Amino acid sequence: MAGNKLLLIGLVQALLVLVVAPFFTGFSRTLRAKLHSRKGPGILQNYRDIFKLIKRQEVVPAQASWVFRFTPYIVMATTLLMAMIIPILILQSPLGMAADLIAVVYLFAVFRFFFALAGLDSGSGFAGIGASREMALAVLVEPTIILVLFVVALLAGSTDLGTISQKVAAGEISYYSPAVWLGMAAFAIATFVETGKLPFDLAEAEQEIQEGPLTEYSGRSLAILKWSLYMKQVVAIALFLAVFFPFGSAAVVSASSLLVSVATFLLKVAGFYVVAALLENGMARLLLFKTPAVTWVAFGIALLSFVFYLANV
Amino acid sequence: MSGTSIVNALAVLLILTSMLVVETRKLRTAAYMYSLQSLVLVAIFLSLAVFMEAEPLYIWSLTALVTKTFLVPYLIIRTLKKVGIQEEGRAPETSSSVFLAVCLVALSFAVVEPFHMQALLKLKVALAVSIAHFLLGLLCILARKNALKQILGYCLMENGSHLTLAIMAYNAPETVEIGILTDAIFAVLIMTIIARRLFQDFGTLDTDKLTLLKG
Repeated sequence: MAGNKLLLIGLVQALLVLVVAPFFTGFSRTLRAKLHSRKGPGILQNYRDIFKLIKRQEVVPAQASWVFRFTPYIVMATTLLMAMIIPILILQSPLGMAADLIAVVYLFAVFRFFFALAGLDSGSGFAGIGASREMALAVLVEPTIILVLFVVALLAGSTDLGTISQKVAAGEISYYSPAVWLGMAAFAIATFVETGKLPFDLAEAEQEIQEGPLTEYSGRSLAILKWSLYMKQVVAIALFLAVFFPFGSAAVVSASSLLVSVATFLLKVAGFYVVAALLENGMARLLLFKTPAVTWVAFGIALLSFVFYLANV
Repeated sequence: MSGTSIVNALAVLLILTSMLVVETRKLRTAAYMYSLQSLVLVAIFLSLAVFMEAEPLYIWSLTALVTKTFLVPYLIIRTLKKVGIQEEGRAPETSSSVFLAVCLVALSFAVVEPFHMQALLKLKVALAVSIAHFLLGLLCILARKNALKQILGYCLMENGSHLTLAIMAYNAPETVEIGILTDAIFAVLIMTIIARRLFQDFGTLDTDKLTLLKG
């Protein structure tokens, strides 16, 4: 009974992320345009792009294997699964009985793996470079994410994301403890990189680092892949919010509290995008081989948070 | 939130600001960062004074505010203006020195672990941080080549030892503190003068170049 209800909420979460993801990336594009004092596309432009692409004919490179054709669906499925595991609307992981934060980290890895593999499989040199860059970025960012999540899990005494959310919301894991706010800082940087923001990637230029593997895609596959990329941004932010800002999520499951938590979730994500837009437009582009300098500093902060956890601060 | 946890959180902030001092490439900004970190130190003194009911610490924090937050950065920036060098030359990678800093912090926590003094039990973290801070200043002196950066490193070490003193002997009379501070100020003053002479003679602040023979 309770399990079914939770599953239902998980589906609602997945649906929510599916529907709002293009809106938020459109929102971020509009914000960037406003900060550049140009008119820019409308907020709904990404929906229009996706529906236009779905109607187009699909072309697949002759030498591409099944990996190339299946990747859009695998990637979309992993993102939806992540949206179901992360406690977005309630202070409990809807799939908590089956998956914890380690599963989420691995799902991120599966996403990356297939995305990069498809880029290599397409046989285009350009997509290959994009794929290798994607993997390089993964190597740089993932240690930070994993380390911070472990520190939080050790503090909570459980790897279940729902338990962590509850303990943070109840104040059992206090922000005053240096381990927590250092971890939060490191995780915020990692999330910023993960969402493909400007110092590392320019989402508007299609052939950049994170969208490089998309080079050979067209038609429906391209639409699904782009949609999954948008969703991945929202999911990464949702993970950050679930671990460090779970406030406003419903503690008990009822229709009204769910509506409230949907509203707060949308507000929180919009807040993240506003801050991210201000940051990314205040910075210059970064060469890819300079990114380790930034990500290693983030990892250093995460490590410091771990040291402070060990020292019981 | 209890008094000790405020002190401990501020102590962690001290570590972060000192890392900022070590990592900032622009010397003027580094001086401002030092000023910021001294402000944190003053805040620690004030909170210690409140929670430990230690009267002398009020005067300590006032003198520390005047000398560390204003006077030392002023001396550094004045030298910078005279010399005209704004940026540090080649420096080691930020990432590697961040890792070294993390190792130093872990080391100092390990060092403090066996301490069992009654007065210190609550402030063990702050003590560990003050030791880590001293080590970070040492790191700054050893790893950076720029003379002014090394002066800032010396100031960091001084801040660290200051915090240790404040934690271990918060009821020491003010005269001790004033003696130490005048020492530190004159040391910085003399070092900036030496740095300026260095620049006059060698045209650089890179201490590696000191080995060049000039007839």
